[in-house]
Amino acid sequence: MAVATLDRLTYAYPGSTSPALRDVSLDLGPGITLLAGRSGSGKSTLLRVLDGLVPHFHGGRISGRATAVGEDVVRTPTRRLARHVGFVFQDPELSFVYGTVEREVAFALENVGMPREEMRRRVGEALERLGIAGLRTRQVGTLSGGERQRVALAAALVLRPAVIALDEPTSQLDPVGAASVVAACVELGRAGLAVVVAEHRLERLLPAAERVVLVTDGHASSPMSAGAAAAAGLPSAPQVVELGMAVGWLPLPLSVVDARGRAPALVGRNGSRPRATGDVAWSFENASLGPTDVPVLEAIDIAGRRGEIVILVGPNGHGKTTLLRAIAGLRDPLAGRVERIPGRVAYVPQNPAAALHRPTVREEILLTLRRTTSASASEVETGAAAMLARLGLAELAERYPRDLSSGERQRVAIAASMAGSPDIAILDEPTRGMDRASRERIASVILGLRDRGAAVVVATHDTTLAADIADRVLEVRDGRVAELGPPTRALSDGSPYATQMGELYPEGPVTVAGVLAHVAR
Amino acid sequence: MNARALLMWVAGALVVDLASDNPVVRVLVALVAIDLLLVLTPRGRSLTPTLVAVLVFATTALALNVALSHTGRNVLVRLPDWLPLVGGPLTLESLAFGLTAGLGIGGAVLAVAPISLVLEPHELIDALPDPLERSGLAIATALNLVPGIGRNAVAIHDAERMRGWRPRGVRSWSEILVPTILTSVEDALALAEAMEARAYGLGRRTTYAVRGWSVRDVLSVFGAVVAAGAFLAARLAGVPLDWQPYPAVSLPPLPAPLIGAALLLALPVIPWPSRRSID
Repeated sequence: MAVATLDRLTYAYPGSTSPALRDVSLDLGPGITLLAGRSGSGKSTLLRVLDGLVPHFHGGRISGRATAVGEDVVRTPTRRLARHVGFVFQDPELSFVYGTVEREVAFALENVGMPREEMRRRVGEALERLGIAGLRTRQVGTLSGGERQRVALAAALVLRPAVIALDEPTSQLDPVGAASVVAACVELGRAGLAVVVAEHRLERLLPAAERVVLVTDGHASSPMSAGAAAAAGLPSAPQVVELGMAVGWLPLPLSVVDARGRAPALVGRNGSRPRATGDVAWSFENASLGPTDVPVLEAIDIAGRRGEIVILVGPNGHGKTTLLRAIAGLRDPLAGRVERIPGRVAYVPQNPAAALHRPTVREEILLTLRRTTSASASEVETGAAAMLARLGLAELAERYPRDLSSGERQRVAIAASMAGSPDIAILDEPTRGMDRASRERIASVILGLRDRGAAVVVATHDTTLAADIADRVLEVRDGRVAELGPPTRALSDGSPYATQMGELYPEGPVTVAGVLAHVAR
Repeated sequence: MNARALLMWVAGALVVDLASDNPVVRVLVALVAIDLLLVLTPRGRSLTPTLVAVLVFATTALALNVALSHTGRNVLVRLPDWLPLVGGPLTLESLAFGLTAGLGIGGAVLAVAPISLVLEPHELIDALPDPLERSGLAIATALNLVPGIGRNAVAIHDAERMRGWRPRGVRSWSEILVPTILTSVEDALALAEAMEARAYGLGRRTTYAVRGWSVRDVLSVFGAVVAAGAFLAARLAGVPLDWQPYPAVSLPPLPAPLIGAALLLALPVIPWPSRRSID
């Protein structure tokens, strides 16, 4: 039975000539519905229709019909629909109202005027359901990323809605945090809720999805099974699906478990030789680092070389950003020594799009080139055009950056930060919330920087990106930085950062391309 | 501490601080307020910005009064008359009056500081009467965005620095300020969207928790009400509270009952043996 229905729904944001949703007709029932699509395809807009944020909060033009739990979405205010549809946003930090967990979870109950005793019962029930009852009195600011997202989920569940919509809930989480949120979604789906998730990280969600809707340029496909969606071509297909398609498996595997036993044998594995690298470009000697005067990392002895990509992995909040800022020279060590080669350091912080302020995408890139190089005007123009092309931004060159989708903005910010020829390039979660095509473009830019001799350091939770580009992996955890070695070891079976290929081929290649290169045919 | 009790204490302290020009009373208010902040401010929150603000306000008031008021019998130094505004005698009396004015402003800042330093935003909302509750929530939510604005500013400054930005005059800072404002507005809209999605504005709200009243809370309110009442009554009755250092500086009056009343503001900082709720 459909819990939410969209019937020939078309919607355009205010001031936009092109609809974000086009003639969408869908019936969504209980269980997990996965919305898959490229960045800017309309997934988030479709989610927002379910609780009426589109059109009531965002405005714009809408036609067609949408109902959620029997309520007409177009005619019912969001605050009334909130009783039936819960919403979890990508960045929980931007949606928290209160300072403590239990007050945050109770916020919606206060808004509907619930008696205090009932509120206490509901808050306890929601926290229990998500396995976070122990966090009840904690300050939200002290929680890990995964805990925060589960608190946001509890806050959405507390009104006992029939539908829960989640907008890229794992995009900012480390693998452990992401797994906990996905497990919570799976439990809710099994309990009969309609759980609608827009997500790019499909590895764990795809096998659990009741149905998948492919969203392309505002059009939504009919709901299909996960296997059918994989065969139809997912925009961010998990590695096992990609491998299955490459070697012609039918049906396609949706998880590592599906693929085990069918995985082709590999031949000619001699182990990859380490790449030749250049001189030491940056180094720490017995350094203590912290965002304030309290160290979060101590006794750090590490170095990176020219022509090398070092990947930092580790849980949220354990000091990866602090380490990157110290490498960039934005924060001096509290103790010990840091050295870096002279030359330009390029740095992409988390949420780099925040810094965009020029009238066009092209102007953003030109600004960096003018400030950081002594090139002539024509060389600067040529350099900007090359960067735009490399990141697939040529068609957006004259657009205002803040009008773009979040994935496009992220690419613009990376293009603006990495333009020119930096000697050291530092990127903090560069592929957060990006689809695979965008991720591949970013990977290509990073590899290009390395090949031109830059020392590159990337902090990421995106293990597929790490597998594609890493020369070496470091783990930042519990105040220490540990060498995990080459990706074939660091991202292999048994590691919390293992890719699906790493799990499938212990000690073997960790990318699909690496596996295919050694498949016995 | 119960938020309503603390708000009443703040109101009482403000009345006492501003009801007269008496420097002894103002010193008492400032000292008690500092003590209260030291006792009640949670760990991890710094008093330094508040104390710096007090110092800046007080010093400014002092400097302006000394420089601009050329009245008083006891001349400390004489600046050349051709200097605009500040030229002329600088007197002990203007120094004393400036100190009193600075103490008044500093005391007022210290008296209201517990609202931001001691209370959580939700405690403030809970303490407001029902008609003000929605406005209070909006303000408290806006205050919640302040740390995010700071983080945005640092991140944008970092990103711009690494793109070759260097501070060159006031105009160059617009390249940090503009994106910080734009991002903060976007964050505020994201929060508003999240609140709307959680039924904010549906109708009459209820409150999850109400904090009980402890002995300290009751005594704090008692002290604040008695102190403020005494000063207001004295003002209405024409009791001489004020102190005028002009034309020649003299010792301020020390009416014992009023000094005693002002000392009642210290009730919340006394280490009471029990914090048991009586409500």
